[in-house]
Formats: sequence, structure tokens, C-alpha cells
Amino acid sequence: MAAITSDENKAVRFFFYSSLAWLIVGMIIGLILAIKYVWPDFLVWGAFLQKYLSYGRIRPVHTHILIFGWLSMAYVAGLLYVIPQLTRKSLEHPRFVRSLGIIWNVYMILAIITLSMGYTTTIEYAETVWPLDLLLIVLVAGITYACFKTIAKRNEKQLYVSLWYFMGSLIWLPFLYIIGNIVTYFISGVPQALAGWFYGHNIIGLWLTTVGVGFIYYLLPLLSKNPLYSHKLSLIGFWTIATFYVWNGPHHLQNGPIPAWLMKAGVVPSVLLIIPVWTVLANVFGTMKGKWHVISENVPLKFVVTGAIFYLITCLQGPFQSLMQPSAILKFTNWIIGHAHMPLFAAFSFVLFALFYYALPTLTGRKIYSQALMNWHFWLSVIGFLIFAFTTWTAGVMQGFAWAEGKQYGVPFLEVVISLQPFSIARTIGGALMFTGQLIFIYNVRRSLKDGQLLSLEEKSSSTA
Amino acid sequence: MSGQSKERSMKPFVVGASLLFFIGVVATVILPFYDEVMQRENANAKIKNYAIHSPEYRGRQVYIREGCHVCHTQFVRPVKADSSLGPVSVPEDYYHDYPHLLGTVRTGSDLTWVGTRWNEQWHRVHLRNPRQVFPGSTMPSYNYLSDQDTEDLIAYLMSLKPAPSTEGR
Repeated sequence: MAAITSDENKAVRFFFYSSLAWLIVGMIIGLILAIKYVWPDFLVWGAFLQKYLSYGRIRPVHTHILIFGWLSMAYVAGLLYVIPQLTRKSLEHPRFVRSLGIIWNVYMILAIITLSMGYTTTIEYAETVWPLDLLLIVLVAGITYACFKTIAKRNEKQLYVSLWYFMGSLIWLPFLYIIGNIVTYFISGVPQALAGWFYGHNIIGLWLTTVGVGFIYYLLPLLSKNPLYSHKLSLIGFWTIATFYVWNGPHHLQNGPIPAWLMKAGVVPSVLLIIPVWTVLANVFGTMKGKWHVISENVPLKFVVTGAIFYLITCLQGPFQSLMQPSAILKFTNWIIGHAHMPLFAAFSFVLFALFYYALPTLTGRKIYSQALMNWHFWLSVIGFLIFAFTTWTAGVMQGFAWAEGKQYGVPFLEVVISLQPFSIARTIGGALMFTGQLIFIYNVRRSLKDGQLLSLEEKSSSTA
Repeated sequence: MSGQSKERSMKPFVVGASLLFFIGVVATVILPFYDEVMQRENANAKIKNYAIHSPEYRGRQVYIREGCHVCHTQFVRPVKADSSLGPVSVPEDYYHDYPHLLGTVRTGSDLTWVGTRWNEQWHRVHLRNPRQVFPGSTMPSYNYLSDQDTEDLIAYLMSLKPAPSTEGR
């Protein structure tokens, strides 16, 4: 296996550490939002804070930091780390890539400033103004170039399945980003909403999901020390996700002002997404066969398997709520908030935590400082998320049925808002537990850099094998 | 030698992945754009086609700047949960909406036809302190807006009324 060059190591670590900082910042803003949901005057201390931390302005800041600062930067770090391992070829242009990481952080800071000043396109997950969009496109193109060049010059003949997922995602990401951020700039009305939702759904489906699945396929055999159950199954999964996922945008306007044929075209592929998610789960369970006992002592493996299960639940729940009748009750409610957090936090952030714990020792030469803290990280994340998810789901069902009874505006609507308060408080507590888990994670990483046990030579060579 | 076989294995992949992607783009983004219902305006769209720098236009910009669309939707569906919100929305209503403000979540109520519900004075009180009108409301107070911005925003909200020809749709 190719040893990691020093420049490559620096590039990977720069993206890793940056993403951790954004994880914390993004979750703090998420907590502020959750508290404002209960106590709208929270942090309204002086006109300045009231204005720049206004709910409507910082909600896109929260989603933007966690999608582009945390998940995407961590994904890039993962790509830069995993691709050389699977191709047995050191990363091309590592210094250039690291400078892209520096500019990426500048992009994030500019995005936060402009969004909290109220400059927004209103297109969800594409709220930033166009000069920033262009900057991000350049950054993504640079990363794509370095990754593809590395793959093209590979020393390993076989293309491991994870690489399929990575290459697909790197091809799709620039196009879908352009459709959501640039094409929407030139059109209006419902077609703009459709282009926006094409992007909004596929940034999850063809970037965060597909790269994440690639990481699952990379980590699972390494952590369980079993070979991947079925290569063919994973390829079926790849091509079905590529076929069906792109069609999912219109279900965000289900029952809305779109032609009937388009609603059907949006729903049928949603239901067919069962196929790719099932191939992933079948592969996870097949690979884990005879190795389930390893889970009890291996926290990264615990994170991967739990993440895969949450991915399955997401893909069972999503098609259900996109159907016309369930959508008529659940759309616009808290249910959707719970659903949206599941793939991003409980599925793919979990996969990333596993990747961090796995990769960090090989990058720093030191083991993770504390196994116990890793377990705390796991359990706080899982329990916090379950509290968060079940309160939003329950609250959503309540809201939906109350609206169907006619409580749609004015005082009756207000009654529904007030009845949701206990759920909003519970959701804040769930969020606080999730956040505490991440603080422990950061602390553990920080301690590992200084006080982690040094890897022996033997472990060094086996950990990258 | 090995270089050639490598290339051969990557090309069909790149072509296939791109092709499947663009089929989805054509079906869900491009074809709907050319659907006839997206290509014409109706009376509601004309009402919302505000002249640049009119109070309603400026008010819409305030609505966007403050992120009102984050908590309020602007579309009425033919379902029970929207039964008392007014005429059902059609694509033609949004012909001039740039950017569209359809929204995703109803943390607050739907505002498609909010102009039919309250008067200017009510909005003046409610925007400055929502809890004065609705004790227990979770809407932020917009008492930091300038008088100009507040009046513009109210003008925009009051303009959100169905055209007479679409009443009872």
C-alpha cells in the first residue's frame, strides 16, 4: 500500500480539522434556532444581535455550514484519504488541494456574513449570492480534477466499488450545483422551484449519499476484517441510485402547483429507491456475518453499522412521505425537519465519525486517546438524535391532523403552535445531547494529537493495508 | 498497455453516469419548463408583477431579506389541511415570481392570500410585537425594521389577494 506523503497528509488533515470546526459552529447555530423555537426572544439582547441572529436569517446559515462546511469538507478529506489507498497512488497536487481548503474556509466565512446580512436567493441550500456560487464551483472543480487525475494514474488495476461511487458523485456534483445555483438565477416561478428542488434533493442524493455509501463500502471490510459480501450487489446499487435518484425533485412540490404527470414522475422513482438502499443493507449484513461480536468493542464499526441502518430508515420514510396522501398530512410540518436530519446527521455524519476514528491514527501516528470517550460520543449522538427525531415526528403528525381539522391560520393556528411547545423543548434537549456528543468527540481528537499512544511499527503498516 | 485498458474501463462509466443524470434533468427540470401551464400568466400573476421600486416590490425584498419564507409557505394545495386558506394555487399564479417564495415549512401559517385576512393597522401591531396580538406566538418581533421597511412589507402582504376572477377556485 502506498505510504501517505507528507504533503498529502497535511492536505487531508487540513480538511478534516476545518470540517470539525464547522461541525461545532453549525450545531451551535442549530441549538440557537431550536431555543428560538421555544423562546423567540432568546439572544435578542440589543438591536444588533436581534437583527443578525434573526431566525429567518440564520436558519440558512445553519444548513449551509453543516452541508458545505462540515459534511462537504469532511467528505473531501475522506476522498483525499481513501482514493490514494484504493488506487495505491499518492494524491496528485496535494499542495494545490490544501490551498483550495484554505479558500474553502474563506468561502464559508463570506457565506455566513452575507447570509446573516440578509443577502439570499431564497433557493434552499443554494441561498448564497452568485459570486460565492462561482467560487464554490471553482473549488469543487479543483478537487474533482485532483481526484480524477489520481484515479487515472492509479497503480491498482481493479476499480474498487467505492471508487465508482466517488467518481459518480464528483461528476454529478458540479452539474447539480450549477443547476441549483446558476440556472435558478435566470428563471422564475414554478420552474425555478423545480430546478431548485432538483438541486436541493440531489445535493443529498448524489453527493452526500453516494460518497457516504462509498465510505461505508471502504470501511466495512476493513473494520470487520471480512471481505465485502457482494461486489455485484454494490454495482447494482450504484446504477439504480444513478437511475432513480435524479428524479426526486418534484416530490418537494407534491400536491402543489405542478402538472399531475410531474407528481407521478417524482413519486415512482422515490419508491424505487428501495432497491439501492436495500443493496447497501444486504451488503452490510452479509459482510457482518459472523463478525457481529466485533461491534461491542469497535466504536467506528458501531458508527458505520448504525449509520447504515439510519440510511435504510431514511429511504423507507422518504418514499412514504412523498406519496400524495401521507404528504397531504405531513408536508410543511415538523416531521420533515426530523426526516431531513436523519440522512445528514444519523446516517452520513456517523459514517464520517467512523472514518475519522479510523483515519486519524494513520495520519498522526497516534492512537485515539480514549475508547470510553468514543463510546460517549456514540451514545450521546444516538440517544440525542432519537429524542430529536421522535419529538419532531410526533409533533409533525399532530400538526398535520390539526390543520386538516381546519386550524390553518389566526387563533386556531396559534393553538397548534402552543400545543407544540413541549415537543419543541424536548427537541432542544435532544439537540443539546447531540451537541454534547460532538464536544466530547472534538476533545478526544484534540487529546489524541498530544497524548494518544504512539502506534508501533507493526500497527503502522497493518493499519494502512 | 495497462494505461489503455484502464481508460477503457473508465469511459463507459463516465458516459453512463452522466447520461442517467441528464435524463433526470430533462424529465424533471427542462420538460416542466416547457409545459404550457408554466408558460402563461393569469390575473393573479399580473397582480404580483410589481413595478420596480413600488412599495409592494420593496416590501417583497424586505420579506426576502428577513427570511420570512423560511417559516411561511405561499402555496395552497387541494387538500384538507389547506381547505380554509383560499383559492388553490396553480402554476400560472407564479409566472412573475422571482425568486419564488413557495417555502417548505409552516412554522407560521400560509401567506398565499394573507391580504384578505387582516388590515394594515393589525400588521403594524403584529409585526412589531407578535405576542401582543397572539400570546404564545413564536414569531420573532420585527421592531428593528425601519418605518419605511415596515410600511413596504405591509403593502406587500396586503397585496397578496386573489384576483376576483379566481375567487372560489
